[in-house]
Amino acid sequence: MEDTKPFYDFSIPYNKNATVIRAILNELVELGYKTIAIEQSFDHSKKDAVKRGSEMFPEPYNIENLRNEFKDKLKILQRLNILYVDANVSHAMSVSLNLRKFNLIAGQPKTDAALTHCCTTFNGDIITFDPVAGSKLLVNRKSLQVAVRRGMFFEIKYAPAIADSNNRKDMIKVAQNYCTKGKSKNIIFSSGALHEFQLRGPYDVANLAYIFGLSADQGKNAIDRFCRQLFLRAESRRLGKTIMFVKGKGPIVYSDSSDEGEDDDVQMDEIEPIITEPATEDEQEIENYQPNKKRLKVLE
Amino acid sequence: MVRIKNRYIAVQIVPYTPTQTLRFSDQTLTKCLLQNVKKYYGVYGLGLLEHGFRVKYCNERTKIAIIRCLHRGQHFVSSMLPLITLIGEVRAKFRTLYTGATIIQCNKFIIKHQRQFLDRMMGQIESAKERQDIFKRVMEFDLDR
Repeated sequence: MEDTKPFYDFSIPYNKNATVIRAILNELVELGYKTIAIEQSFDHSKKDAVKRGSEMFPEPYNIENLRNEFKDKLKILQRLNILYVDANVSHAMSVSLNLRKFNLIAGQPKTDAALTHCCTTFNGDIITFDPVAGSKLLVNRKSLQVAVRRGMFFEIKYAPAIADSNNRKDMIKVAQNYCTKGKSKNIIFSSGALHEFQLRGPYDVANLAYIFGLSADQGKNAIDRFCRQLFLRAESRRLGKTIMFVKGKGPIVYSDSSDEGEDDDVQMDEIEPIITEPATEDEQEIENYQPNKKRLKVLE
Repeated sequence: MVRIKNRYIAVQIVPYTPTQTLRFSDQTLTKCLLQNVKKYYGVYGLGLLEHGFRVKYCNERTKIAIIRCLHRGQHFVSSMLPLITLIGEVRAKFRTLYTGATIIQCNKFIIKHQRQFLDRMMGQIESAKERQDIFKRVMEFDLDR
């Protein structure tokens, strides 16, 4: 599977101003983060359900230049936050093609019903909440346990807690609720920082676990191991059941079957398992970065 | 045998706007930290920590400080350090470098950390003149971090 290195920060809000986001990324490198995700929000409840079947979700932002700039320092993923009020969103999600271009998908429910839906059937990876709206939404025990069993992760953002004391109280309340209802299982920390001054080092964040009701061990895992688990889960959702996947390094040359293996770009040791295991061929993802094509293949 | 268990926390102070030196004394730092303990944990936290709490070392140039507190109360200190945004009158944040049980270990770590930092700085420089320039600056502690 794809390599990711600790530490992780899965929520950096996208900023149009290139200098701001560059400053944030530089600070992240300085603090010792290796894998981050650029966050993008989408409010599903505002859209009318007129255009059924058509594309609803936005394209991911183009961050190729950032990726190139921080090539060997940071691994940059992309993440979509979906704000929604009812279960209609799941239909829109199932037909969407753009959604596959994102590495991570987070649900941000606005009502109690949506929160329960988010825990039980939502086809995403992270359950997050709006720090500004307050802590009216508290998850109940049953749906929390369902969510834990499904491998969803709850997110706690610490930057709003640093900026404002009201938010801090709400954040502690929500985090302690996770603690009382489900022993703080499956919790990750992320920043959500709008400015580089709000970022903190990974060990500082792990120390914050104390006020959020997590044990020291859980706090450390919340920025390290659980994030890796989350990433793997997200990849498996994107690719389907996968045993292995092959990623082309250079331009892909499609050659005839007669002289196969002669002038292929893929190296020999990489292609060997495909030949020896023809039974699992339909489950393999040859081209990772063309989810559209793959999708069409499935639809046929 | 150790009768009183202490914890030494090495922190780095990162100001909002990069400056050469910070005008901090041990007293201002202690006062700021205890004030914040009171703000977040109330009288209970303050009572638990105040005995044995001391800023042992504070370097204005390298912006590194060592805080001593009782072993029992270390969570109170370490969990509130990330929440601080104002030290004295300066907007700054803390960055925890190391937590140790003796001050010697803290000292060792700080030396190692500064050495690593210097190596990284030197590695980025290409021309010889700039290297000499930065060497001079290091000797005068004129670094922005």
